Amino acid sequence: MGEVRIALQSLKMSLRTRMQYRVDTLVATFAVFIRESANIIAIYLALLKFDRINGWNVNEMLFLYSILFLTYAFVVSFFADLRQFSDTIREGRFDRLLVRPRGLLLQLILNNADLIAAAGHGTLGILLFVISAGRVGIHWNIFTVLYYIAAIISGILIQGGIFIIISSLCFYFVETNSIRSIFYWNMRKFAGYPISIYHKVIQVILMYVVPFAFVNYFPAQYLLRKPDMAQYPQGYIYIAPVVGVVVYVVAYLFWRVSVRRYYSTGN
Amino acid sequence: MRAYVEFAVKKFQDKMAYRLDFFMGIVNTVMMIVVYLCIYKALYGDAANIDGISYQMVATNFVITLGLSHAFDYDEMFLEHKIQDGSITGEFLKPVSFMLRLLAENMGEGAFKIIFHFTPALLFTMLYTKLCPPKSALSLIAMFGSVMLGYLILWLISFIIQTWSFWLFSIWGILTIKNVFVNILAGTLLPLWFMPAALRKIISFTPFESIYFTPVRIYLGELDGAEILSGIAVQILWIAALGVIANVFWKKGVKRLVVQGG
Repeated sequence: MGEVRIALQSLKMSLRTRMQYRVDTLVATFAVFIRESANIIAIYLALLKFDRINGWNVNEMLFLYSILFLTYAFVVSFFADLRQFSDTIREGRFDRLLVRPRGLLLQLILNNADLIAAAGHGTLGILLFVISAGRVGIHWNIFTVLYYIAAIISGILIQGGIFIIISSLCFYFVETNSIRSIFYWNMRKFAGYPISIYHKVIQVILMYVVPFAFVNYFPAQYLLRKPDMAQYPQGYIYIAPVVGVVVYVVAYLFWRVSVRRYYSTGN
Repeated sequence: MRAYVEFAVKKFQDKMAYRLDFFMGIVNTVMMIVVYLCIYKALYGDAANIDGISYQMVATNFVITLGLSHAFDYDEMFLEHKIQDGSITGEFLKPVSFMLRLLAENMGEGAFKIIFHFTPALLFTMLYTKLCPPKSALSLIAMFGSVMLGYLILWLISFIIQTWSFWLFSIWGILTIKNVFVNILAGTLLPLWFMPAALRKIISFTPFESIYFTPVRIYLGELDGAEILSGIAVQILWIAALGVIANVFWKKGVKRLVVQGG
């Protein structure tokens, strides 16, 4: 229970810090919202001209994209300190955690929430969901709703797990910025489109290396059943809601092994 | 002039120091090209061309645009940080124009990215897909001139917003919004050919069309002969207009800073 109290306390502190600069916070939130909308606007304009991309129409594309935004809003609320972990180490914030009587990873997750990004991505995600969810022919019932919720949680865990793995690499390499930008940010951008349109190599990366396909493509396929699903094992749409747990456990174990190096080099 | 060239060279050499960055930069660029070409290919489906624009033209447009946007990838928060930590005052003591110096440094960085990130990626792309050749030798040469002018337009827009950090607490938000405008209206995300007619019309009255689209059209021969000259003339007009605005903001900002300092 103590953890919950710490989490709430920390959330309150994040909020207070941001509210010191009210106007700036508003402008920044709006900026995140607009920045993320850019890709949506581009997709919308493109489909105005081309109608479909590999069989997906504009509403289906928006639905696919909305999952990325919704999950990311939670990811930055919890994993903000792990997003740029090399900075967290360099600024000495990590050393501070070492002397506190709680698990390191837990502290990193409960500390700091990037509320600006969460608000910007979250608003956009909800907006896109509301626009598209009723127009893509999903029959919403208890099973689809439960599946959807499980898929969202799994999507959060997958991305959190990726953050943890990339952060763990900081214990081995000095600079991990470029790795992160390629393996997280680029892949996330690519996941905005049905993965079936890509070159085989990129598809393999999106399924098995940085499994973004399980964040939004396979869950969306469970609900939409587009014909391009035929080229993948049908089971993938059923395991999507549990892939997150697997990725997270692997990430956690890797973190446990890696963080020991910090003690040994630090002392 | 010599001093500014030195600034550019120095920045170029700075960049050379980070080898992993260099390697990852190429991987990144190749990935971007492959992915976006896949997206365009999927959009085209079986169609040979849409509105008279072939897939090959779109691919060429994308590659040229990506190259130029690479050259423009630098730290736009530079001035804000200088103002916030006060080191901007040191700049006024130097016997060089801050604006030109910044331009020289940014161009040095851009040259690095063009030579080491973009060119290898371009060569790779040419193995992977067929791009349109330039219409003629003249279009190729005119394109290089036009690319430089496009760069200046992009740089001036950025600089104008950077000078607002004399007044604002943080310009990050505004810069971000500016980049969204550039990405959409200049055609980084979707070629301007495919914009709805009304939007395309509006864009033609803004500097955004002159950034990437004019050089691309010159290269492809969509602008030929006298049209090349008028395209370039429009670019120069925008540079002049934006240059004046940039100077006004810069001078006012500097004055304000001095007043504040006492």
